[in-house]
Amino acid sequence: MTVLILTSEEDVTADLVVLRLNEAGVPVVRLDPADLTTRVALSGEYVQGICHGHLSVADRLVSMSGLRSVWVRRPGLPAARAAQPSAWLTEEASQALYGMLRCTDARWMNHPDAARRARHKPWQLRLAQRSGLPVPATLITTFPQAAREFSERFPDLVVKPVSGAHPQEPPRAVPTSRVAPDTDFAAVAFGPTLLQRRVPKLADIRLTAVGDRLFAARKTVEPDADPDDVDVRFSPSLSPWNPVEVPPRVATAVHAYLSGAELAYGAFDFAEDADGIWWFLECNQSGQFGFVEMDTGQPIADAIARWLASAPDGTPAPSGGTRRSAL
Amino acid sequence: MQPFTLNYARPAVHLEVTTPYMYDSGLQLNVLPDGRIAATDHATLRALGTTTSTAGSKTHFDD
Repeated sequence: MTVLILTSEEDVTADLVVLRLNEAGVPVVRLDPADLTTRVALSGEYVQGICHGHLSVADRLVSMSGLRSVWVRRPGLPAARAAQPSAWLTEEASQALYGMLRCTDARWMNHPDAARRARHKPWQLRLAQRSGLPVPATLITTFPQAAREFSERFPDLVVKPVSGAHPQEPPRAVPTSRVAPDTDFAAVAFGPTLLQRRVPKLADIRLTAVGDRLFAARKTVEPDADPDDVDVRFSPSLSPWNPVEVPPRVATAVHAYLSGAELAYGAFDFAEDADGIWWFLECNQSGQFGFVEMDTGQPIADAIARWLASAPDGTPAPSGGTRRSAL
Repeated sequence: MQPFTLNYARPAVHLEVTTPYMYDSGLQLNVLPDGRIAATDHATLRALGTTTSTAGSKTHFDD
């Protein structure tokens, strides 16, 4: 049984997991859907009540029925590198590939339906509340007056994109940013705006969940840090990430979140305040983990490999050499 | 008419990182010029920031 990894070639973070799977003798096929019709090919037939499908990349061939699990890591758009790419061809290739993969009994990390839903931040906030995670007071609105009233109730606010996406024309980044007092909220009318009470934080927490296993890391906010540097991704901090125990109540809530979201993997961001409370900020269903593993030594790649290699009932995979074959 | 959130946008930093490794389709891994597996060279990975949560990826907004 083979593990299928959908990701780009340059995704060196995926290499960490491929290495672990190789060490365990678990067959792996790695491909980028962007290479469909060039370096990647697929075929499936539905005849006499039976469905057979195959995928090939380079000189590897794998049967759809032989897939143990699918790791949707950082795949490109299907057929994006075809000889004559088009939106139509991408849709055709996407339907063919993911449609066939949905016919298999393979486990998904994460299933595309769950992944798509899990990207919606408003939905994340509600699920976090229902799961028992503390969520900072948040408003998402296109009403300027609602924003003004919210800022009166919570004078220290940050603003961040609802989607997490960044504008590309021209390319810009939109970090989580503090909103100054007496800000004019008139432009809220021109786009949904996410305002959130700023958590005065002592540390950032990145909690990486792999199946039932939780790996939490803590990055201390330096005492002389500029309070306007809210977004750790844009912060000049040189503090390392250190492993930290997950409080039992947080662990219970995170498991509830993952169950509610139907996710096998999630990278949670929290802000830790002076009372030691971990405030939920977001959960990225395909968040990076390599930087945490390198700082903390936490075996996240190994945990992912074990999850991908195990049977649906959680039993470890039997060892076996990687096989190659030709069409 | 610019949305409020874009008042906080800043120019994207284009990190034209030239990765010193290349994908080996036989190994299904990225390999350094001296033949070592790139993922085992943490010093290089740290320097490149290729495993880091960066935000603003053009193709992926999960960090």
